[in-house]
Amino acid sequence: VTDGDPGLETLLGRVLNAGSIGSTVLLALGLLVVFVAPGAAPERWLLHAGLVVLMGTPMVRVFVSVLEYARQRDWTFVTLTLIVLTLLAASVVAAFSA
Amino acid sequence: MSDFAAHFSPLLLLSIFLAGSLAGALGALLGIGGGVFLVPFLTLALGIDSRYAIPISLSTVIATSTVVSAGTAGRQLINLRLGMVLEVATAAGGLLGGLTFQYIPTSTLFIAFGGVTALSGVTMLGRLNKRNVILDTTIDPGRLGGRYHEEESGGTVVYRVRRMPAALAASFVAGNVSSILGIGGGIIKVPVLNAWCGVPLRAAAATSAFMIGVTATAGVVIHYGQGRLVPSLAAAAVLGVRAGSFGGLHFGGRARAQWLKLLMAGVLFVVSVLMFVKGLQ
Repeated sequence: VTDGDPGLETLLGRVLNAGSIGSTVLLALGLLVVFVAPGAAPERWLLHAGLVVLMGTPMVRVFVSVLEYARQRDWTFVTLTLIVLTLLAASVVAAFSA
Repeated sequence: MSDFAAHFSPLLLLSIFLAGSLAGALGALLGIGGGVFLVPFLTLALGIDSRYAIPISLSTVIATSTVVSAGTAGRQLINLRLGMVLEVATAAGGLLGGLTFQYIPTSTLFIAFGGVTALSGVTMLGRLNKRNVILDTTIDPGRLGGRYHEEESGGTVVYRVRRMPAALAASFVAGNVSSILGIGGGIIKVPVLNAWCGVPLRAAAATSAFMIGVTATAGVVIHYGQGRLVPSLAAAAVLGVRAGSFGGLHFGGRARAQWLKLLMAGVLFVVSVLMFVKGLQ
């Protein structure tokens, strides 16, 4: 318990790295379209997809933590990470209900 | 809103990219998020409305958190358990900030930001010579404490977390301030974790950087849903911060940053005054 959890840390590091690369590529392509052909159709969805991947990465990171703590049967941390996931879900609901 | 989001000159996008690069490089060199530099640049220098500048800055906070944590993962500097407990408080604070943001007057935003930049300046001066390493490996770190290998001294650092209520309160406030002012909130969490809760500076900074992604997400999603996060401007800022922090980490990470801290503390005090003036106008 006291030596941290190198396995989980590495796993979460991979999740963050993938999200980081994905959002950078989408945002860069979207911005490229803005410069080359302003107002073209792909501009909007590339930029929005990039932002969704950016905002989704921490959410996926929390979700993976929930699964991993469940696998370890550490119910205290399953509960805590589930609360965080619920708060993030609440912000999504609040964002699109106003 | 749709008028504002329509089209931007390539020059503006380039300026935001460069501002992001500078903020990212400074953030990486100084070990803080770049938000305290980015928001003043967007509002004071580029004249972007703070309603739009703050969400842009918040999206770069996620980017910074993601990249920094991906880079430090595996070195056991991030205290995952402590981070996950404190995230409950920080996400709640971030959510609340996102919900109340539209009711807060712009002048209040500027004044609050002036206070935060002054606080950042003071913190930076206080950290000029700080080393917070206790090489006592006999301590029992308990359930939330941690243990990591320190490269500089070659020893193992063990620490116990004290005063959890203070850490939780600081995390809630940091989350709240984060989504209202567009900063990560490390400026509040790191000093509290370090000075009051017994967490060594490096572990406090790494754990805070790990958490701010979740904090910023709770706030920025609401800004995004309500149309305050302008995609092309956010893209320019995020890419700038990524490029800047990459540069900062790879070219200046080993350099002694003392003079830079002194200089930036000065810059922060000037920014603080400018923010106060703008808020009181």
